[in-house]
Amino acid sequence: MIERVYDVFARKHRGDQLSHIGYVDALDDEMARVYAWKTYDEENWFEMCVIRRRNIIPVNRQDNPFSGSEGDDG
Amino acid sequence: MKALLDIQNLDGPGVAALRRLILTLADSKRMMGIRYSDWLLGAPSIEAGIAISSMAQDEWGHARLLYAMLKDVDVEPLAIEHERPAEEYTSVGALDSAFEHWAGIVAAMTVVDEALSVALLGFSRGRYEAARTRVPKMLAEEEFHASLAKAWYRRIAGSSSEARGLLRDSTKELLPPVLAWLGADDAAAKVMVVEGVTDSSQSMTEVYRARLRDLTALVEVDINQAQPDGGWDEDRARGPGWPDEDAIERARGDRNRALLVE
Repeated sequence: MIERVYDVFARKHRGDQLSHIGYVDALDDEMARVYAWKTYDEENWFEMCVIRRRNIIPVNRQDNPFSGSEGDDG
Repeated sequence: MKALLDIQNLDGPGVAALRRLILTLADSKRMMGIRYSDWLLGAPSIEAGIAISSMAQDEWGHARLLYAMLKDVDVEPLAIEHERPAEEYTSVGALDSAFEHWAGIVAAMTVVDEALSVALLGFSRGRYEAARTRVPKMLAEEEFHASLAKAWYRRIAGSSSEARGLLRDSTKELLPPVLAWLGADDAAAKVMVVEGVTDSSQSMTEVYRARLRDLTALVEVDINQAQPDGGWDEDRARGPGWPDEDAIERARGDRNRALLVE
């Protein structure tokens, strides 16, 4: 079983900017949802979402953590 | 909306039935939390360990809220939580022993926790005000338990034949005590239905089977063919046996209770 990296974004209040708050390793999207909610539950989030890192498209740099290659199986 | 239940209008058997219902839900939640806590260390990944740790906390919180409802039926929760021997626990028998492998706890997360949610759903739709106001938040938290359970169940069912076999065996072992508990149709259960406190055991069992049918089919278990255990104990609202002593000592907090200053 291969785990993938999912980045976690959240906002505390409606209207706040969505912020990157961390990441989780998970076998699939459903597990990533639960792991994110259970791992980053220190705040009463208005909204939280996860995205598989490989699906983030870099715009100006290829060497940052969101480049899609860092820790991901591709 | 159904009129709220006036507990003062319940007769003796009615009060006893409500007491039994609250207690078996609370004890089952407490034991579900104990079984999740067995896996705080040893889960397949850090994330899985964090998730199951959080789920253990959820279950204990739910148990605490349910135990508190016992005050409405003239029972002091403190003694119930900290002084009872294992033989008096009314938790569903499927949680009596620790699970030896991850497939076992995934099966419990799926088969047992889902049954608790179906029972709580019925309770939340009834006429007892405390259940109507407090249980919906529990059910919202349980949605994440169900999501994780299904994700892991599918994952293991689709992996090696050995892992799938462990999941199948655990599922087959857990279903009979769970079906006996959820499908209880004795006098006390009927009183709760007549009083509008919860749904009928038949309807809850149908909902339960429908929710899990596709999942258990992944390991060649036909949930429609699964049958409840015998040996129903009406006093404790469960089948024969009781939780292992180690789990009860942890549930009661025996080891460090002397240090608690109240």
